Amino acid sequence: MEWSVHIRGAGDLDGDLTLDRFARLETSVRLQPAVALAARMAGDARFTRCAFGTEFCEHLLPAPATLDAARSAAFARGLAFTLLTPYVSGAGIARLRELLPRLAAGDEVVFSDWGVLRVLRGEFPQLRPVQGRLLNKSLRDPRIMGIYAAAPAQGSTLEVLQRSNLDNESYTALLARLGVGAVELDNLPQGMDLGFAARGLEVAVYLPFGFISTARACMAAGLHYRKPDKFQPGAPCRHECQTHLVQYTYTNSPFDNRDQAFYLKGNTYFYVHTAPMLEALLGHAAGGRVSRLVFQPRLPMVDA
Amino acid sequence: MNVLAPIRALDELDMLAAAGAEELFCGIVPREWVERYSGAAWLNRRSPKGGSLETCSELRQLVDAAHTRSLPVFITLNAPYYSAQQTELVVELAHQLSAEIGVDALIVTDINLLARLAAEKLAAALHVSSVAATLNSEAVRFLLDFGVRRIILPRSLTIAEIETIVGDVRGQVEIEVFMLNDGCAFEEGFCATTHHHSVGAFCTSLSEMRADFDWNGPRLTGRREAWLRRNLADYREWIWYLNGNGCSSTPKGLPYGPCGLCAIPDFHRIGIDSLKIVGREAPAFKKMASVRMVRDIVDRARAATPKLQVIERAISLRESPEHCRSGFMCYYKVDASG
Repeated sequence: MEWSVHIRGAGDLDGDLTLDRFARLETSVRLQPAVALAARMAGDARFTRCAFGTEFCEHLLPAPATLDAARSAAFARGLAFTLLTPYVSGAGIARLRELLPRLAAGDEVVFSDWGVLRVLRGEFPQLRPVQGRLLNKSLRDPRIMGIYAAAPAQGSTLEVLQRSNLDNESYTALLARLGVGAVELDNLPQGMDLGFAARGLEVAVYLPFGFISTARACMAAGLHYRKPDKFQPGAPCRHECQTHLVQYTYTNSPFDNRDQAFYLKGNTYFYVHTAPMLEALLGHAAGGRVSRLVFQPRLPMVDA
Repeated sequence: MNVLAPIRALDELDMLAAAGAEELFCGIVPREWVERYSGAAWLNRRSPKGGSLETCSELRQLVDAAHTRSLPVFITLNAPYYSAQQTELVVELAHQLSAEIGVDALIVTDINLLARLAAEKLAAALHVSSVAATLNSEAVRFLLDFGVRRIILPRSLTIAEIETIVGDVRGQVEIEVFMLNDGCAFEEGFCATTHHHSVGAFCTSLSEMRADFDWNGPRLTGRREAWLRRNLADYREWIWYLNGNGCSSTPKGLPYGPCGLCAIPDFHRIGIDSLKIVGREAPAFKKMASVRMVRDIVDRARAATPKLQVIERAISLRESPEHCRSGFMCYYKVDASG
């Protein structure tokens, strides 16, 4: 089982490559406990790979020089390299066409958009495409999914909710035909059925954050617009997402989870893993159903 | 450029046809599906309760009657994914819908289902749902390999982005865009939440939650916090508009909802094939009023009425210029002078 760490940039690799140091990179008092919990439960991790980039916003795609620096730092520390890419408009495709030639043969590219996969296959066959977690459509609504898991009467429903289209042999065969040998997932609040991994697909899972929802219309970007021009899809921004975090508390829950928190960073909402979720994930890893864990010391909306 | 209307039952057909609908779409959720999966695993993007037909015989009558009026009928099989067991049920249903009932197209999101149905070579065409989040021309080209006839673009694309896509793939695939009624705060295909009635939509639910800011800078001053709070209030107002102005109606009883009427002249010029009115589960009156409004503007665009006049007409049809002026009720930003 491989460990990967999601870095903001080359600077994150200055220093020892320990879980303990990475876990201290998050400075938000609201998020630190979740990061620390994951690090504590994971115990010892030897990192052999790093992930760089973002899956959630094309405005956060790195500059070519920043990508070069991250790639070089990874190489210098003996780490394999994964570039995370988001869902993109045509403009985002154009920016990726500037970035992808800078990667080395064998580097991984996580795609969150079928158009990006098409570009990878047609123009950059030397790179290794990995299906990103955004293209895994399992519901992961933290408001209610844990409640489904606690209601054993709904057998067929829970079975569906713990799976995805990866459950279909026809889909894993399609991915193989498309040259995709690995997929990335979120750790689901309702639990995961990873039976499909027995068909040879490599599985990577992120911790300790999972995504809930993401949008082309960004609340943070609205800060610098006149009111009628706010929240326009794809509108240019000043990376206002980097200045703050919003914590929502589920005070209007109809259930007994009114202290549950969700986090908005820019255009994307996230949940954090609870101790039982982490325990289940580490159990999957120990059982060989997860081939890689990706530790994210910060919410994955970092501006490189 | 056709007007695509939602329909839920045969008794809505005459009304929608008379109002100007030129294509129809609906859903079907057989009772066996609901019994097996309860209300949590939906067959399509609407809750099994109220948004879809329940039997193939009902659907057959609807399709036959629509075809006598030369109206094609498309069926939603657009859940974000299906498990292996569900996929077999859906493929079997698709065969029945195509061969026995004669529906004209199946609207699909899941790439696995799309590949399976493409291999089945059904008589019904394949349309790709907006839930597939097709945001760029390369993604369209990827989907063309599955033999799709139409792609429904997400409502988050701008007119300029839509024009680029249409220009890149003209003649290879039909393009459908959103026109009226339902908003989505998120990129629908990348929203992993449920609209289950027990919790409601995540976006509207957020508006009622406590929100606290965590500022990255040295100090969160009162002024900065007020700035953040004001933006949050604006965002919540935007969500209110997306949610049909809080599910309210005009003084004449017309339901509000996100709108693209002012963009119709641009879509006519670009060469869009179909304009989608959302809301299978909506009351018949709302569907009829929606079709009338869209058809009114489409007819003006077809008659080459000047764009500014068309926009003025669109605003008058919505009967609430103050809401139009807010900018929050629009799917698309339109350059009125262009």
